[in-house]
Amino acid sequence: MKLSQWGGSYNIKPIGDSAIGIFFEEKIDEKVNDIVIAIFKKIERANIEGIIEVVPTYRTVCVYYDPTVIKYRELVGAIKKIISETKLEESKEHRIVKVPVAYGGEFGPDLGFVAEYNGLTEDDVIEIHSKPTYRVYMLGFTPGFAYMGGLDERIATPRLENPRKKVPAGSVGIAGKQTGIYPIESPGGWRLIGRTPLKLFDPKKDPPTLLLPGDHVKFIPIDEDEFYKMLKEETR
Amino acid sequence: MIEILDPGLFSTIQDLGRKGYQKYGVPVSGVMDFISARLVNMLVGNDENSALIEFYMKGPKLKFHSDAYFAIAGDVRAKLNGRDIHPWKRYKASSGDVLEIGTISSGSYGYIAFSGGINTEPILGSRSTYLRANIGDKLKSGDRIPLGSHYNLPRLDYIPRSLIPKYSNSVEARIILGPDDDHFTENGIKTFFSSEYTVTPESDRMGYRLKGPKIEHSKRGPDIITDVVPLGTVQVPGNGQPIIMLADRQTTGGYARIGVVITADIPKVAQLRPGGKIRFKEVTIEKAYEELMKIENRLELIKKLLYGKLIYIRTSVSGRTFDTFIELMYDHL
Repeated sequence: MKLSQWGGSYNIKPIGDSAIGIFFEEKIDEKVNDIVIAIFKKIERANIEGIIEVVPTYRTVCVYYDPTVIKYRELVGAIKKIISETKLEESKEHRIVKVPVAYGGEFGPDLGFVAEYNGLTEDDVIEIHSKPTYRVYMLGFTPGFAYMGGLDERIATPRLENPRKKVPAGSVGIAGKQTGIYPIESPGGWRLIGRTPLKLFDPKKDPPTLLLPGDHVKFIPIDEDEFYKMLKEETR
Repeated sequence: MIEILDPGLFSTIQDLGRKGYQKYGVPVSGVMDFISARLVNMLVGNDENSALIEFYMKGPKLKFHSDAYFAIAGDVRAKLNGRDIHPWKRYKASSGDVLEIGTISSGSYGYIAFSGGINTEPILGSRSTYLRANIGDKLKSGDRIPLGSHYNLPRLDYIPRSLIPKYSNSVEARIILGPDDDHFTENGIKTFFSSEYTVTPESDRMGYRLKGPKIEHSKRGPDIITDVVPLGTVQVPGNGQPIIMLADRQTTGGYARIGVVITADIPKVAQLRPGGKIRFKEVTIEKAYEELMKIENRLELIKKLLYGKLIYIRTSVSGRTFDTFIELMYDHL
């Protein structure tokens, strides 16, 4: 089925003189994001001269361009043509990325609080957190940070009132109804429940991030020994 | 090779930015003022995207460990081995020479370009520093920085005085409205375009926080579903005070975007200091392209002038100034 038949409405607007936004339905929704990612990939592959980069978000595809090479009107024409040729089926492919996590202890100093806050045991929290498959809607905020959806409301927990000055890279946290992984050491206010030994962001690699827009993520509980063993392999 | 003896206030290595990695959440970074940076690279015969040193307010002191040409951009005094030298002019330094840059008189960012460019290892296709992700670091005393060896020195060794960029601490920034203009009331948009805003001290390479009349949000409120933030985006959070997003901005943000500063006006906005004044004016995208082409054409003319392919004459007739460029059609002239 073609996108035009699916009825997914969109509008195109400039975001300044060097970026174009293709805005789809204004909501956080897997179906909307599927379309975004399909269109993003298609425009990227089209290799249109003058396009610098294409960036997908929850509901927008942003096309950054060099206005000395191509102008808004011409680019909108090319984009509309690409969208009309995109089939909905193209947006159904998802990678599943397994992310090992050592929960609790020094890796997840807030696991106890998250359990207590929700009237659960620590083991309950681990089980509830590692059960679903989470969808990566987009990357942003810091290099390699994945905006994920799909957290079970039973373990939703508000942020820290006083953010930590340093959160180690790989920390897995909960903030409200979101869960996420800190790709690099940074300040942060999420409740930390565990840590992955995997490198989420490595500027020496291309692509530099473990997770990509549209990926499905599954957390796999591991113990401390496995964590250090995998950390050693990862840094080798 | 150069050695940093004193980094100055805040100096980093930058080029024209890390392009193509925003989809991974990697910010673009790069120079704050692309006009000054490109011009000074031209003077030493570099590619316009060559990496150089960007300094904020007070420049570094450094020592050459090899011979190299260099040039300084910015309204700033400098000394080479204790002797006064000028910005916007190319000099030759020998191994052992010491260059000391003073404090900027107008504007806020200056540049030092070296023939061959700074030749540190590129990360994701760029030598630009991005501190928040530990991509590079701010310069420190004792840092040794390698220089490249490919350059093509232009014939002229200075930028003529009348073509040197001038920096003002009170500017008008032209804006393309939106994309989130529906998050503001008619009054809010009117306030934005009719008021003067002041750059606050909470401003850095990431963005300039402004202070001034409060911009009123509509019922849709200040928050949006996290979305892209191109260079020059003006975000307005709940307090109604605009923030202009600059080189080190994050790739995405969650505040309503009232408009975006046109590319042509980014350098003059970047050169504002804390306390600097800014007014906003709405323009069409066609006007934005036209203004950018004016800059590009000017840079192209200056390049031809430097390589001796043009003659430049400035004339003043009853108070009006005319710049005339005469293109030379024969190389042997």
